[in-house]
This record gives sequence, structure tokens and C-alpha cells, in this order.
Amino acid sequence: MEKLFCSDTGPSGGKSERVMSPVLVLTGTSAALNELIDEKRDACGMRKLGCEEEKPRIVDAEPKENQYSELIIPHREAVEIIKVTLKCSRAVGLEGKHAVLKGSRTAWEMLSDEQNLKLIRTGSEDFDGILGGGIHCGQVTEMGGVPGIGKTQLGIQLAVNVQIPVSYGGLGAKAIYIDTEGSFMPERAYQIAEACIMDTWENLGFSRKEIEDCQERMQPDHFLANILYFRICSYTEQIAVINYLDKFLEEHKDVKIVIIDSISFHFRQDFKEMVQRTIVLNEMSRQLMKLAERFAVAVLLLNHVTAKHTEGSFQLTLALELVCFPSPKDTKLYGEAAI
Amino acid sequence: MPIMPENPVHLPVEKLSLGCPILDRFLGGGIPFGFVTELAGEASAGKTQLCLQIVLSAAAPRSSGGLSAASLFISTEPPFPLRRLLSLSSDAAPLDHIFVRSAFSSKELFDLLNHVDLLLSLVRHSSDRRIRLLVLDSAAALFRTDAEDAVHRSSELFAVAAKLKEQARRFNLAVIVTNHVVDVVDDGSKGPRVGNYMNLSSSGRKVCPAMGLAWANCVNMRLFLSRSAAEGNVVDIDGCTMLERKLQLVFAPHLPGGSCKFVIRREGVFGVGNQALIPTSPQ
Repeated sequence: MEKLFCSDTGPSGGKSERVMSPVLVLTGTSAALNELIDEKRDACGMRKLGCEEEKPRIVDAEPKENQYSELIIPHREAVEIIKVTLKCSRAVGLEGKHAVLKGSRTAWEMLSDEQNLKLIRTGSEDFDGILGGGIHCGQVTEMGGVPGIGKTQLGIQLAVNVQIPVSYGGLGAKAIYIDTEGSFMPERAYQIAEACIMDTWENLGFSRKEIEDCQERMQPDHFLANILYFRICSYTEQIAVINYLDKFLEEHKDVKIVIIDSISFHFRQDFKEMVQRTIVLNEMSRQLMKLAERFAVAVLLLNHVTAKHTEGSFQLTLALELVCFPSPKDTKLYGEAAI
Repeated sequence: MPIMPENPVHLPVEKLSLGCPILDRFLGGGIPFGFVTELAGEASAGKTQLCLQIVLSAAAPRSSGGLSAASLFISTEPPFPLRRLLSLSSDAAPLDHIFVRSAFSSKELFDLLNHVDLLLSLVRHSSDRRIRLLVLDSAAALFRTDAEDAVHRSSELFAVAAKLKEQARRFNLAVIVTNHVVDVVDDGSKGPRVGNYMNLSSSGRKVCPAMGLAWANCVNMRLFLSRSAAEGNVVDIDGCTMLERKLQLVFAPHLPGGSCKFVIRREGVFGVGNQALIPTSPQ
């Protein structure tokens, strides 16, 4: 048996006009989004599939208006319905193949998903402006800069900011900090957490009761404890931890940012086979992109810069430029010191 | 063994004293453990002096603010300044807990560090004093000479740094590495000036720490020691005039940049801040 979801819109036009739009094979979306989709669909001249003729098969005895009901039909029949649907969809100029391909989504869905994705603010308005509002969940962001420019500071800041409670406009989530260089300093994290708590309370008016409610959560120690810290001492450990993240994130759904400080340190030693290094790094970047998408976490990679001699002058460029994150949505930023 | 995350609240926060309260305060308590600290400066800026003082501070008994710990001193620029170490130490400081070894090539250094691994894990489980400090004076001497292949050198630097950081973490060591400086030639070209992102100068010349951008990525904290430009620029303490020196914090993940003046006296290296805090000489 196949489970097929369709929507029952109640009274509408004759069945000959009815088209089951694969766009509607959506479950669990918000009411607001449904309304928006309905509007868009109507504008295209499409209608939802009514279930009148299948009524005897509907498990839900009384399909309520504007609610999804579950239709249980044999696989063969489901395929038939989809075939008819596809034909009809084409008639109105819309390819509906994605409904057959499991797991695929329309660009429209992706856009609305992206708009629903959370942003982690850096705390600096200008910086947020460059990043399009902040660090995006579900994406990989790479940042490079000379030593001392503040890469680690930004990493710690984001590990703290992700924890701002939802009621204060944050995500109320946890952070994973993968430290490959040993530069994560608890005392600095404590200072940043303290400042973050002060800012949060200052910027948003609060009542005495609210303070009491949040007293326990809004403590620097509590912020520190929600940074899950991994210290890495070799590239094999780094690969092992990134492999393990899949399982770890499955068990810790409240993690919304993974910070790797830095991605390149252990890979800049002498590798016997440079080709092998490239393969390992490409695999790692692929895994990180997959994690970002699957768990809707932000992945922040901090990277070194190296000097390259090009056209008679030295230019800064990201270390291990071999590994590129080819997807256009992945952001690369260069930090440059004011000299 | 499963990989488990740690709670940052439980990470060690202890610091190693520099043997001077003013310098300690400037560095937020001292040199952190599990961390690689670089002291860069021209010859005679006071790098080795400061290293020796920190070694003695680690060896001093807990009753006098030390750690009662042993240290390893890897010297790449012989001779080891033994006389100076003796003149700095009071009678109580047990010099037999300072292990000195020299290394004259990068290969020798690698071999030595691998042996140190074994030594550290043995000492960790014995009742002897624990080794808590490793000094490499200087890193530049080893890596500035074999400059035949820049790519190879940079990967060697990263290998040494990774090894030092691993030991610092595993055995909770403080690691101090000294570095030379190179003169900066301002050719008026635009674009980023590699390495010299802060204008550092010593004895009136513009300089920057040696071994370039690659090595700068290898250390956690960079301190820059310099001598003042003019001979006349001296500080007057207790009726003695001394050359003014400066300790600059170039970068550190836990502290803002800044600088602190210091002087080198017979008794050691002392920060110059609030004059009342400078300990007067025993005699």
C-alpha cells in the first residue's frame, strides 16, 4: 500500500476540471504557507484534487474542510493517479515530475524553506549586513583572515549568540565547537557570554518576572556548558569527529551551529600524497554540506590565509584553495587587517 | 573510544606566572597551559631572559607562588645561558628539575619531541615532579636556515606546531617558543604587507617576526619584545638608569592588544607600571 496525501477542499468545481497538483504533496507546513500556496495555485488556474470519487476509500470518516486526509490505495492505483495528474499538469504548463521523485522539492518549496531558516546574528549590524542578516542555518560559511584578525573571537561569539533564548529573538540552541588549534579560551567565552546576556536584557525590555524566569538560563556558566567542545590534535581525529557528527547531530537536535576553528591547520603539514589530501578534503567538504542541509545547522569554517605572489605583488588567499565549496549559496569572506 | 564533547566550564584555566606581578597582570595572570606562546624580538630584546625567569617560576615551590614543576628547555642556539640561570635563581630553586637539550636541525627536533612524548607520559604516572613547561629557544634558528624549499619548510613548521600543541594539550603543558625578527623593507607597494599587520619596531627599525604568515598561524599567542630606539630613552628606578624595553601583545584569543614597559635587571625581568609594585632588590 502506498500512502498518498492529498487535500480535500470541500465544495469546488466539477471533477473534470480537477487537477491534483503535485505541488500540494506537502505535509506539515504552516497554515500561512498553505494559504500562500493556494493563492499562487489559483493564480495559475490550478485546482486541488477533490476526493469525492474515492470517498469510500478514505480512511478518515469525515474529511474536514481545509484539512489533509490520508488516502490509502493500492500502489498500482496510486501510480495511475499520478500518471493522470502528470498529463493534466502538463496541460496547464507545469511539469510535475518532482512528485514522483522521492525527496525532491520544487524551487517554490525551497524558497519558502529558506525563508523559514533561522539566522544567527553576529552582534554587529554591519557584519550581519554583509552576511545577509547573519550566519545562515543550513549553509556552510567559510571565513579566512590573518592571525589576530578575530576569527576565533567571531567563532566564540556565534557559539554564544546561537543560545539567546527564542523569547529574546535568538534560536535558543546549542553549539558545537571543534577546536583544532587550541585557541578556544574558556575565560574569553565567559566574557562574551556575560556581555551577550547584558546586551540581550538591555535591548529588549524585560519585566522582573521575566528575569526571574530566565535567571537560571541566562548565566554565563550555562552558556559555556551549551558549547559542546571537541579538541582535535591531528587530522585523523578531525576526520573522525566530522564522520561522527552525523550520528551526534541526530542525537542532539538542539545544536544549530557547528564551528570548526580552523579547518586547515592539520592539513598544512607534509602529506606524502597531495592527491590524497585533496580527496580527503573534498570528502570532508561534501560531508559538511550534507550535514548543514540535513540538520539545518549553520556550519562555520575558519581558515588561514596565505600570501600568493601574483602579478608582481603579494595577495592574500585562503589556505588550501584546492577545497572549494562549489555551491553558490556557500559564502566566502576574507578578513583583512587594517594596516 | 567514543569521541565525547567537553564542557568548556571544566577546561583548565590555570596560568604560569612570569615571575613578575606587573607582567602577570598584563597577560591576564600569566602564560596559559595547553597553549603555544611565542616570544618574538630582536637579539638582546630579552627573550631568553624572560624564558629563564619563567622556567624558574615553574620550578619554584608552591609556597612561594611557583608550581613546583619540572621544565624542558630545548636550546637551538648554544651555549645555554647557565650562568645567567644561576644568577637569576635563588638558592631554593631546584635546578635539577630543569632539563636542557640542544637540537641543531629540524630532524633532530622532531626526534627529540617524539622522545619527549615518552618522557612526559612516564613522568605523568610517577610521583616525581610533573613537567609543566616546554621552552623552545629558538624556533627560528632551526627553520630559517634550511630555506631551500619554502613549501617544504612551511609544512615542517605546521608539523612542529601540531606536535607542540598536541603535547601542550595532552600533558597540560605551557609551551613557549621564541622567534627572531626580520627587517621590513617598505617598497611602497600597495596591497597587504605580508606578516606586518601591526607596525612593530625595535631599536628604531621597522621589523616583523620571522618565518612569515605560515608560522603566525601556528602559535596561539604572539608577544613582541623590543628595545627603545634612542639610547637616551631610559627609565630611572631606584637611582639606576636602565634601557627601556617594551612587551607588546600582538595577538591572543583571550586578551586585547596592548603593551607594557619592562626593564631587565640583575635580579630578573620586571614590568614597569605602578612603581611601588616592583620588588626591591634583596640587598
